[in-house]
Amino acid sequence: MLALVVLAVPFGAGVASAVAPWRRWVGWLCTASIGAVLVCGVGLAVRVVHGPPVTAFGGVLRVDALSAFMVIVIGAIGVLATWQSVRYLDAELAAGRCSQRHATLYSVLVQGFVTAMLLAVVAGNVGVMWVAVEATTIITTFLVGHRRTRGSLEASWKYIAICSVGIAMAFLGTVLVYLAALHVGHHEHANLDWTSLMAVSHHLDPGVMRLAIALLVLGYGTKVGLAPMHSWLPDAHSQAPAPISALMSGVLLTVAFYALLRFKAIADGALGVALPRALLVAVGLLSLVVAASLLLSQRDYKRMLAYHSVEHMGLIALGAAAGTRLAIAAVLLHILGHGLAKGVLFLTSGEILLAEGTTEIAQVKALLARRPALGGVFAFGLVALLGLPPFSLFVSELNMVRAETQVGLGWAAAISLVCMAVIFGAVMSHGRHMLFGAGPDGEQVHKTPAIVTAPLIGALIGCAILGVLAWPLAGLLRAAAQVVAT
Amino acid sequence: MTGFQNVVAAGLVAGAQIVTVSVGGLLLVGVMRKVRSHLEGRVGPPIHQPLLDVRKLFTKQRMHPEQASWVFGAGPVVLVATAVVVAAISPLATTRPPLGRSADFFAIVFVLLLGSVSLALGALDTGTPFGGMGSSRAMTIGALAEPALLVAILAMSIPAHTSNLPVLVRMGLAHPEMIASPARILALGSFVVIILAESGRLPIDNPSTHLELTMIHEAMVLEYAGPDLGLVTLGESMRLTLLLGLLVNLLVPWGVADRPGAVSIVIGLGALAGKVALAGIAIATFEVFTAKLRLFRVPELLAGGFVLAVLGAVTALVVR
Amino acid sequence: MNGPAYASTLELMSGVILVCAAVTLWRRSLPAVVKALAIQGFALGAVALILGIRQHDAVLIVVACLVMASKGVVIPTLLGRVVASDPPSREATPIVNVPASLVGAAALTFLAYGATQPVVALIPTTAGRLVPLGFATLLIGFFSMVVRRKAISQIVGLLLVDNGIALVAFLATAGVPLLVELGASLDVLLAVVVLRVLAAQMWSKFGVLDLDQLRELRD
Repeated sequence: MLALVVLAVPFGAGVASAVAPWRRWVGWLCTASIGAVLVCGVGLAVRVVHGPPVTAFGGVLRVDALSAFMVIVIGAIGVLATWQSVRYLDAELAAGRCSQRHATLYSVLVQGFVTAMLLAVVAGNVGVMWVAVEATTIITTFLVGHRRTRGSLEASWKYIAICSVGIAMAFLGTVLVYLAALHVGHHEHANLDWTSLMAVSHHLDPGVMRLAIALLVLGYGTKVGLAPMHSWLPDAHSQAPAPISALMSGVLLTVAFYALLRFKAIADGALGVALPRALLVAVGLLSLVVAASLLLSQRDYKRMLAYHSVEHMGLIALGAAAGTRLAIAAVLLHILGHGLAKGVLFLTSGEILLAEGTTEIAQVKALLARRPALGGVFAFGLVALLGLPPFSLFVSELNMVRAETQVGLGWAAAISLVCMAVIFGAVMSHGRHMLFGAGPDGEQVHKTPAIVTAPLIGALIGCAILGVLAWPLAGLLRAAAQVVAT
Repeated sequence: MTGFQNVVAAGLVAGAQIVTVSVGGLLLVGVMRKVRSHLEGRVGPPIHQPLLDVRKLFTKQRMHPEQASWVFGAGPVVLVATAVVVAAISPLATTRPPLGRSADFFAIVFVLLLGSVSLALGALDTGTPFGGMGSSRAMTIGALAEPALLVAILAMSIPAHTSNLPVLVRMGLAHPEMIASPARILALGSFVVIILAESGRLPIDNPSTHLELTMIHEAMVLEYAGPDLGLVTLGESMRLTLLLGLLVNLLVPWGVADRPGAVSIVIGLGALAGKVALAGIAIATFEVFTAKLRLFRVPELLAGGFVLAVLGAVTALVVR
Repeated sequence: MNGPAYASTLELMSGVILVCAAVTLWRRSLPAVVKALAIQGFALGAVALILGIRQHDAVLIVVACLVMASKGVVIPTLLGRVVASDPPSREATPIVNVPASLVGAAALTFLAYGATQPVVALIPTTAGRLVPLGFATLLIGFFSMVVRRKAISQIVGLLLVDNGIALVAFLATAGVPLLVELGASLDVLLAVVVLRVLAAQMWSKFGVLDLDQLRELRD
């Protein structure tokens, strides 16, 4: 029941925003619906941590600890993004860059986007999960191209072209897994339910599974933004409106990674840990190296943040490669922390774009002096994202390195630390340029309204609390890691 | 039948095939010209005009350029000789031609192509620029078409486990569903492209062009006159007939004589004539509606033929 | 359907699918490419139909009709409209020239054959032996997306990838469960619609459908 509510509420809000022309209250209604999703997610988490998974529709929807955690992630960042969407749409309407119809379309599409992501994480059937992920691709294409400039059209074209190929490969991988399951012996009972696939995972044909896991890593990896399939990411995330970038960078990438985790569990059963681990290490390290090399020369701060996402996805790929309970728990914590911090940063950058009118790093100076609230949030967001204490990313990165060393991936952890150091330097230098310095004389200090900064500060505080005390989530993380760990 | 009678019978069959191919080849060219003319709204020359032309050419004086060597004269002779040999041993009228065991598909096709090489050498021998141009163009096309041909023959040979041509035709007669297999259809599709390339028909080469710079094949024979030109015309028409005959016998083998006997061989010859005539009419009709490809687009067409052949070979390997 | 007729028709249809994929790399004229795609869609539906008749599976026959309608008629019509609205309907010089890309297609076919050995080994039936053809179509579509510059050609490549995967799905598993199949077909249709809308927007705003000219976003 609760699982259905999780899906129905944002869908209903979407229908409502389709019917009514866009007004402020429609926007707040959408935010409230996502807030309800967050509450439901917490409720589901409480239920499944100590009990059996919640199912609905005869197993088509199935919420276990991992799914509940992802629902919380989606809910938390969704609230942030939709809160800021209200202000974004207001500003666009006031500036005349966007018509009433476009605003309504935006609102409806965002609700559809969130519903599709929720469907992907609560689906018990990997086929339905695939359909939901494909649906997010189609919906987000329109959202990326919302501003209808030349750059955003190019970005959305690249996005859908590359991600469609990736999704198609993931579909083929799913078909091959189904094929292997069909030939296990009980033809009549083979289906695409994750639980039944896990049950027969030890009997799946290894040759077919090898091909399948390679296709799945490449396919879902495209949506995660792992190199070498990452080329759509900087364009799409930098050209999309800020709330959409926050949702895509903070949540969509990790929803795709969730799908990959589910399949990794099946592959571990069929092939042993060696091949999936090798594949994930390869793409993870490649992503880290690519991000590190390209971050130094960035001139656009939204692109910089997008490449930073590539780095973090590489990190969680490495963590998932390690595969132990500690590793997966750290990965999940990282997903939440990264989502919050990246969401805050993208939303802040949206505000900066609104205020300064440019996305070039060179053109934005002395934010701390001229817009202290905004600059402060941005600064703390960068600190959080770079993995400094007390924010949770520090804890999760540390534990991922520990877990990797435990399973013999110490060399990979070392390379990742080197890349992280390079990225640290690059981001620090870009951030220093944007934040520090004295403002031009005579320019007054701008005040950013509290309604804008309050949720952002709240998110950062939440991130910090999670870094210091894990108590609200410890049990959930343990249970969720148990689901897919080796 | 005794050994001597076998030899006589084989000789008769060979002779019948050779005569049919040579006379019929010239008639085929006449038919194709007539069809083209009618489609273009003209009356056109009579069907037996090529026969009259060749007869006229043989009565003329033999002329060689001063700087040419024996290669110049040998070119047309080798062309006709290879065509005669292939006509004798191919399964055109019967599935048991003389020397049938030597009639390997690879061997037959490459003996035929030996003729075009000899013609190219003869053209080079004249030392004229057009001769050299025609030779180089013809050899380029040959270099692109022959790998495709190799792979196409391979694709047809794999399902039958042999490349012996009479056996292939016999198997086609016995198992008609083999003909509809994708491997064979792809290979025959590739074969059609190659025939158009090797016999110098549109869209690769215009046989009736008079503009030297657009010539590929015609440029090679510019210097030939009299009996040499007669031999060249005869050889070219025999080559076209033989290639078409092989194509139709592999695609539609009904009518080919399976049992020995004069009647069935005559029927076989008649069936061959009919099928080749139909193929020729199809080519002539196609030519009316096609424009000549620019020379640097020809590799694209031939690459397409190559890929068709490769796909046929892969399909033959996969589907066993 | 009796044995040899079933086998040869299935082989023929699968062969047609692969040949249509090669034709999209061969021909430069975009209307011809769209026609090849339509033929491929019909052949794909025919494969599903033959399998459905053989296995007396009504669901599969329904899916076959759906596939023929969407991939054989609807999608090529959508594409045809975009092509008709863009006057220079010939692919400009592709990044890799035609003969080289055709040789590449042949090489990819061999690669597909090698890579799918485990799948073919798992399913020793007639249908299973044809799985490499689906993989080859997929790889050719992927290759086509990389070497072509026009927006329409990229959509064509994407459709080839989808058709190849659909062929593998039909041959290997006699179709995935109906729900997923419907979802997949719908998604392909939607993706093409989206791409068509984007192409129309690009065309109306900037008058260009040549992706080579969209190079603003770079590092």
